[in-house]
Amino acid sequence: MIKPVQRILQNSWLELAARWILGLTFIYASYNKILFPADFAKIIYGYDLFPNALINLIAIILPFVELVTALALISGVYPRSAVLVVNALLVAFIILLSINLIRGHEFDCGCFAANNSGSTAATEATLIRDFIYLALGLQVFYYRRTRRWRLWQTRGGVEN
Amino acid sequence: MKTLKEVSIITAISVVLAFGVNYFSPNGIALVGQWDISQGVVSAVAKNDVVMDELEISDVSHAKALFDTGHVLFVDARSFEDFNAGHVKGAVSLPVGHFAEQIDGFLELYDLDRPIIAYCSGRTCQDSHHLAQLLMERGYMNISVMIDGFPGWEAEGYPVD
Repeated sequence: MIKPVQRILQNSWLELAARWILGLTFIYASYNKILFPADFAKIIYGYDLFPNALINLIAIILPFVELVTALALISGVYPRSAVLVVNALLVAFIILLSINLIRGHEFDCGCFAANNSGSTAATEATLIRDFIYLALGLQVFYYRRTRRWRLWQTRGGVEN
Repeated sequence: MKTLKEVSIITAISVVLAFGVNYFSPNGIALVGQWDISQGVVSAVAKNDVVMDELEISDVSHAKALFDTGHVLFVDARSFEDFNAGHVKGAVSLPVGHFAEQIDGFLELYDLDRPIIAYCSGRTCQDSHHLAQLLMERGYMNISVMIDGFPGWEAEGYPVD
C-alpha cells in the first residue's frame, strides 16, 4: 500500500505538472488583480473579514506574492519555499471561504477577478478547487528527488 | 533556515514590486482606502477613482426635498432588472454597463442643464458615481449622487414605481 503511494508522490513528472499547474493558475489569478487593484480591494472589502486599514495593503501586495511565487515555481527557483508560500495562501483562502460559507455571508470570491454570483454553490466549488490545488502543492513540497526542468539545478534531496 | 531565507527573499521581492508597480500604475490605489460606509460610498481611493465626495447627497431626505421640487431627474444606474423590480418614482433607467448604447437617446430627451440625481444600490455601490462621471463627460452640469441608493429611498417610504 505504502509503496505505490510513495511512487506516485515521488514521481518527477507529476511534480513538474503540479508546479506548472499551480504556477500558471497563480499567474492567471494575479493578472486582473494587478491591473485593477481598486476592484480587487472592493472584493476584499466584500469578504467582510478584514480591518479597513489593511484592505488596500492586501490588495496591493497579495497579487505580487501570487505572481512571484508562480514564476518561482515555473522556473524552478526556490521551488520548495515558493510552494510553501503557495500552500500557506491556499490554506488561508480555504479558511476565509469556509468562514463565509458557514456564516452564510454572500460575497464574490474574486479568485480570478471573474465576477461570480457569490452563491453558496460557487463558494463550495471554489473550496473544492482550492483543496485540489493544495494537494498538488503538498506533492511539490514533500517531493524529495531531483526536480525536472529547473532554471538552475541544485542537488536533489531535502535541499531543493 | 534555508527555507526561511528563501521565503524572505520571495516576500521581499513581492513587496518591493507591489509598491513599485502600484506607485507608477495609472490604476494605483492609496495605501488606505475609504471603507467606512458612514463616511460615504466605499472605495479604494484609486488614482482614477470615480468617487467624488462633493457630488454626494448623504441624507435621503435632502434628495426627497429635491424630488418634491419636480425639476430634478432621477437616473437609475443599476441593471434593467433591478430597475424593473422597483425604482424611484419617475426615475429613468441608465445602467452604467449600457451607457454607450443608451446615451444618445438620453441626450435627445434631457437638456444639459437639467438637474440630475444618480443612484444605485447604496454605499457599497460605485455605479452611480461612475454614471455621474460619464454624464459629466457628455456635458451635464448639475449632477448629484444619492449615496444610499434605492434601498435608502425605499426604506424611508418615499414614492416608488
